[in-house]
Parts: sequence; C-alpha cells; structure tokens
Amino acid sequence: MHLPDGLLPAGMALAGYAGAAGLVGLSLGRIRRLPDPQAGVPRAAMMTSVFFAASLVAVPVPPTTVHLMLSGLMGVLLGWFAMPAIMVGLFLQAVLFGHGGLTTLGLNGLILGVPALAASALWGGFGRRLPDLAALLAGSGAVIAALAIFAGLVLAGLPPGIDRGAERAALSVFVIAHLPLVLAEGVIVLAVLRILRRVEPRLLPHG
Amino acid sequence: MSARARVAALFFCALVPQMAAAHAALVTAEPVEALRITARYDTGEPMAGAQVTIYAPDDPATAWARGETDAGGRFDLVLPTEPEGAWAVQVRQAGHGAMIHVARGSAEGEAALVVTAGTAVPHLLQRAVMVALVLWGALGTALFFRRGRASGFSGAGPDASA
Repeated sequence: MHLPDGLLPAGMALAGYAGAAGLVGLSLGRIRRLPDPQAGVPRAAMMTSVFFAASLVAVPVPPTTVHLMLSGLMGVLLGWFAMPAIMVGLFLQAVLFGHGGLTTLGLNGLILGVPALAASALWGGFGRRLPDLAALLAGSGAVIAALAIFAGLVLAGLPPGIDRGAERAALSVFVIAHLPLVLAEGVIVLAVLRILRRVEPRLLPHG
Repeated sequence: MSARARVAALFFCALVPQMAAAHAALVTAEPVEALRITARYDTGEPMAGAQVTIYAPDDPATAWARGETDAGGRFDLVLPTEPEGAWAVQVRQAGHGAMIHVARGSAEGEAALVVTAGTAVPHLLQRAVMVALVLWGALGTALFFRRGRASGFSGAGPDASA
C-alpha cells in the first residue's frame, strides 16, 4: 500500500510532505521531552528494520497478494518514535525496492504514520486495563485506517478523464483483499505483546 | 469524330461519375509495428483491467489516448510517426501504477521503437543483500545507543560512546 510517483497531482505530494514533516516535528518534540530520549533509540532502530523488511513479505490472499504493513505494531511498541521510524523505513523501501515513490514519500508517511500514532494513543488509553483488546484493536484498526486514508487519497487525486467507476471498483477489490490482513495484524500485535509480557516484561511499552 | 475518339469519350464518361461522387470505398491493409505493453504487480500477477493513458511527446499533460488492459495485463498500441520524441504510457489501477517511455528511432536502420525507460524488479540476491545491509545498519544503531547507556553516559548527547 505505497503510492508510486506520477499518479497524484504535484500539489497533493507537496501537501503530503508538509503534513508528514509536521508529524515528524511533533514526534521529535515529544521525544525530546522524554526523561531519557536516547533510551528508545535501540528499539526504534530494530523496529525500523522489521518494518522495512515486512513489506517484502507477500501474503497470498487469492486472487491477489498483500504485504504486511505493521503500522499498528510500530505505534504500540514505539510510541512517538513510530513516525520518524516509519519515514526512514519508507525512504529505504522507495530507494532500494521502488516500493512507493520519492515524490509521494510524505503521503505514504501519512498513510502509515497517522494510523501508527492513533494505535499508540489507543494503547496509551486502554493498554493497562484491557491489554489484549487494546492490542487487537490497535493492530486491526491501524490497517483499516491506512486503507481508508489510501483510498481517500487515490480518489481525491484522480485526474480528469480517468474512469472513476472502474477505479472505485478496483479500489474495492483492493480493500476487500486486505481484510484478512486486518485480522492478521491485530493477531500479530496481540501475539508480540503476550510474548513480551511472558518473556521480558521490562520490554513492554509503558501504557 | 473517329471511332477511336468515340470509344475514348465513352470510356471517359464512364469514369466521371466515380470521380465526382466518390461512391466507392477503398479499404487497404498493411502491417505496422505495434507496441505490446504488459503490466504486472511486482508479485507477478497481471494488472487486469487497468487503465492505460498515452501522452504524446509534444503535450505530456493531456491524454492523447486511453484504453484498458486485458485479463493478462496486456495492451497493444500503434504509435503514429508524428510528432517525434518520447511517448509516455501510464498504467494505473487502485492507486498502483507506473509509467514507461517509448521513442521512435529516427536514424535509418535503428529499431523502429525504442523503450527508453521501463520498470524492473531487482534480482532476488540483490534484494537479499539490500535487506541484510539495512538489518546490519539497524543492529549497529541499536548497539551504538545501548553501549552509550551501558557505560553510564546516557543522556550526555549522541557522541557519548564515541
């Protein structure tokens, strides 16, 4: 779910950069206010590499295949570190594999970063009282949110002359193909947090 | 009027209506060089029913022609000789897509159509090496900051452990 170069108007790409830069700035500001800003860096670095490699894992969902997104997992485990981590991961994916364009890097950052921050907020709100439910909702909800932002951007950026009906139908197929991923990512977040709780509770994200 | 002149006049009169009213249609056929575009996702499946837009070299902002790929992600296209330059062909579907450029060779003996820019998926080994390098970089970053914390310099700035 990465927007490539050349499909959306340049104005939207610029607005995407502005929005993503704003979110990164906000995140870095919050990270600086943490008692020990460097404490989260090793975890952020490792999660960035997991996020980067995950988009290469294709899950076959007949008749198509979908890629893991891990936006919710990033948000729950990294908190404010998720946004800069996602931008670094997306940049490497675009440059090395051509997954997503460089002009649309900002938009792709919003597609995955906003759900990650939302998942982080959800975990912060319910993580202590209902850890299992919060984990499941954070993982699944992030995929749904990313799908909604992606489809909204594509429809908003359709140039005149493109068959809107055909594009909307294709987007519906795309979204339906990703429904198994909604469940899968919820289960992934749940499983990771349960394993952490049992094996190394100190690594659990506070929340 | 001689007999020969009379035959010639008759022959001419028989031709005139055809030339004046142009009632006959002439259909000819000649083979031309076509371009076959194949669009796939990087997972290998064809982009079936994707929307194809062709832009002429002299106007890259307005669509010159539109079409749709078949079930195999294919689209056949015959480019005119004029105007010269690189034609852009964009294939898009559900927010995914890519663009290629095709130019008509100008020199004699050159291939008539030259694809000047296409897209390709990197080799599997190349991808594996790139992933390994990124993992290595991330591991290094993680260890760098852990070491800084372990030696008691945490919070003393990014060059604490250098």
